[in-house]
Amino acid sequence: MKALGFKKTEQLLSRYGIPLCPSRLTVEKSEALDFAGEIGYPAVLKVSSLEPIHKTDLGLVKTGIKDKKELEESWDELNKKKIKKEGILVQKQLFGVEVAAGMKRDSQFGPVLMFGLGGIMVELLKDVSFRIAPLKKKDVQEMMKETKGYQLLSGFRSQKAVDLEKLIGIFLSLSELSLNESEIKEVDLNPVIANEKGAWVADPRFILN
Amino acid sequence: MDKLNRIFNPKTLAIIGAKPEEKSVGWGLMKNALQGKSKRRVFAVNPHHKEVLGVKCVPSVMSIQEEVDLAVIAVPAKIVPKVVEECCQKKVGGMIIISSGFGESGKEGKLLEDKIKETARKAGVPLIGPNCLGVIRPGNLLNATFAPALPKSGEIAFISQSGALVDSVIDENFKKNYGFSALISYGNEADVTLADFLWWAVEDPKTKVIALYLEGIKEGREIMNVFSEVSAKKPILAVKAGRSRAGKKAVSSHTGSLAGEYPVYQALFKQTGVAEADTVRELFSSAKALAWQPKCENGIAIVTNGGSCGVLLADYCQELGVKLVELSEETLKKLNKPGVMHPAYSGRNPLDVVGDALSDKYKSAIEALLEQPDIKGLIVVQTLQIMTETEKNAKIIIEAKKKWKDKPIIAAFLGGPITAPGAKILEDNHIPNYGDLKEAALAIKSLIKK
Repeated sequence: MKALGFKKTEQLLSRYGIPLCPSRLTVEKSEALDFAGEIGYPAVLKVSSLEPIHKTDLGLVKTGIKDKKELEESWDELNKKKIKKEGILVQKQLFGVEVAAGMKRDSQFGPVLMFGLGGIMVELLKDVSFRIAPLKKKDVQEMMKETKGYQLLSGFRSQKAVDLEKLIGIFLSLSELSLNESEIKEVDLNPVIANEKGAWVADPRFILN
Repeated sequence: MDKLNRIFNPKTLAIIGAKPEEKSVGWGLMKNALQGKSKRRVFAVNPHHKEVLGVKCVPSVMSIQEEVDLAVIAVPAKIVPKVVEECCQKKVGGMIIISSGFGESGKEGKLLEDKIKETARKAGVPLIGPNCLGVIRPGNLLNATFAPALPKSGEIAFISQSGALVDSVIDENFKKNYGFSALISYGNEADVTLADFLWWAVEDPKTKVIALYLEGIKEGREIMNVFSEVSAKKPILAVKAGRSRAGKKAVSSHTGSLAGEYPVYQALFKQTGVAEADTVRELFSSAKALAWQPKCENGIAIVTNGGSCGVLLADYCQELGVKLVELSEETLKKLNKPGVMHPAYSGRNPLDVVGDALSDKYKSAIEALLEQPDIKGLIVVQTLQIMTETEKNAKIIIEAKKKWKDKPIIAAFLGGPITAPGAKILEDNHIPNYGDLKEAALAIKSLIKK
């Protein structure tokens, strides 16, 4: 199992118009500091690795970094981790509903897309739905509504409804990408952060054949 | 799928491997074939026998003078390639290979299957099977199978990956009122595939609804398109087997097909407009509704003489996404006129006309509800009290149906032998009746346009 590197991932997403939350991959602390200054705090640092690892479980993600000092500390901590990495990813921390978008290839039907709410909703509650590519807008709407978590997207209690059009757009693009890019075996965009202003992929992972 | 027409309406039928031994497959095929002897000539082919069921045997298909529209082949697998070769030389209209021992049985069988497929394709002769039960066309008295009997003729095309299931569906059909335009067991799909049968069924004027039993699909991407196009013209209902881990294991040893991931099949059905039935019983109870009643928009009403049944049906409808329409002021005005309804009637949907209701109450209720424009369909429930007029009630429904042709009516006359005469009148007139409320709710759901 080989994952696509960050640069190529970034290019692929951009080619299909899938918004990535402001991110930069670097091996230099100074560049990380500059970039964080540019995009503004709070920021996130993540170890970027091509290995099939669970980043959160291994403590390779630092979120809620408030300022320069915290960024420096977090950088040093992550940099010490003994893991094969292509660098550390600096990201703007976005807030909203965490969504998971996935793709696997079925031997009989080809690319199958998955929708679910991020985090434990996918892993523990299996509150997910599937559709076979190509997806139409109606298919995406239906697959979202099929899950219990949909309520969180359409506005729950004090939370505002997210920009569904943008979120749907990600699924339509992912459907197209899956049909065109046959060397991609599996996709895991988890989380995608959706809020009332838009939807951005925070953690993309493309597995190659 | 014009190429299948000679198969479904043969003027001549050859049973290759016909046998005189009672209870053998070759005997069963012959016995069933002869049921249609008023419609076609039947030939028995077997070099080792003189006569089967009064029909003189010929040694090979080549020795038949006339053209052969349909050849049914039931000989040992290793002889099949030679027989197929002969049938192709003879330019038969189509072949059904009953014999097993092909792709489903391993590598060697797969080679045999590839061989006969190649022969058939080269000659342009459609080949059904191998490893199948065959096809039945009740309307033509065609029974090219070793099924136990010929079922009723009707509007349902049942296309099944399993042959044995077809047999029991036929036996069960004797106590049912729906019928079949065709029953097809397609076996290993060496040449003619599920997709071909779907294309045929959508063009077949006798078929109104297609019912499927599926274990695994061979050409997933192709079927996706076929399902979408066909279901836009005629409703498709499907039971998918091999949904669980245990079921999948069983599939691999049954049809040898790949059961696949069930969530993917669920997605397939939703995306292509195929309605999934949970059980074989549900498959046919919903198919019956689709065969006899029109489809409608979502919005129905319930008439009942038992409050409990209204409550249960309301629960089922909500669970299934079937909307219960509120009664309009106009409807209520009609019902509230003195003497029209029992003073204790519910005054809402579900409309409870109360236990002691005689037929006049049912009539007023049914008419008032069907007159309301946003009520698109109706379920009429009847429980049985000593005064309940079951036959009269049935006739009222039939009269109402004549007046409101576009609105589907489904009945749930609950009970046993005392209710049966009413239920019979209903179904003889194509009002589907259900002995269970959940079944009735599922049936109305299948009629709702998406």
